Amino acid sequence: MNTVLSRANSLFAFSLSVMAALTFGCFITTAFKDRRVPVDIRVSKVMLKNVDDFTGPRERSDLGFITFDVSADILHRPVFDWNVKQLFLYLSAEYATKSNALNQVVLWDKIVLRGENTKLNLRDMKSKYFFFDDGNGLRANKNITLTLSWNVVPNAGILPLVAGRGYVSLPFPDSYEVARSY
Amino acid sequence: MLSMFKSIPTHMDYKGQKLAEQIFQGIILISAVIGFVYGLIIEQFGWTVYIVLAGFAVSCVLTLPPWPMYRRNPLSWQPAVPESSGELTQKPQESLKKKKHK
Repeated sequence: MNTVLSRANSLFAFSLSVMAALTFGCFITTAFKDRRVPVDIRVSKVMLKNVDDFTGPRERSDLGFITFDVSADILHRPVFDWNVKQLFLYLSAEYATKSNALNQVVLWDKIVLRGENTKLNLRDMKSKYFFFDDGNGLRANKNITLTLSWNVVPNAGILPLVAGRGYVSLPFPDSYEVARSY
Repeated sequence: MLSMFKSIPTHMDYKGQKLAEQIFQGIILISAVIGFVYGLIIEQFGWTVYIVLAGFAVSCVLTLPPWPMYRRNPLSWQPAVPESSGELTQKPQESLKKKKHK
């Protein structure tokens, strides 16, 4: 029985199938590309304090303060293609201490939506989150590495996690900043 | 009210049904190819979706109503057999008989 409703039904079903195929094509065209881009991170100021960590075991822990510059051509063609809705950028610090072979702390993050500024160029940024160590592992730590990574939020397909090419390693000071009381 | 809707003609003949199906499949496939290429070039998947939706709307207008081009090959039915006078006279007789039984 061929009625208006049955014609509308087959038309709608066929359109949906075609749309699904197109979405899969969108995923396939971007699934195997290299999304890494060079990133330039510079640290202008490092400060180290030893303060009460009220979340931890009631001891004084190391708290670092880092002022940094980040520049990257993140939003250029290789990263922001037609299968990207937004990027979640985050700057993380990696270091080794006596108690843990690998510590990772996220210091700062940013969400970049489609259609926003085409270049990331930030100067003298302060970290958004506290750089607390769970002990005293930051003092005189010679190798603390800052890297910028990002999650790609796609229209269709997998959710890639990309590490930017380029990092900075810095030593932390040997002594704590003394809290001055006026 | 319902009879008013039922009086709207929706019928297509068999060749018209086939033609309508070929037309909407062709329109949607062509719009899909155009949308895919355009979206790939301008790096906006949203435009691909819009172009396919436009193709969907166009094919709805073209193939849902029974336009005259879908009714060009009506089935050639046998001509209606003129009802013979004998049948006409028999039926009243049967009914008469039933009435007699009662």
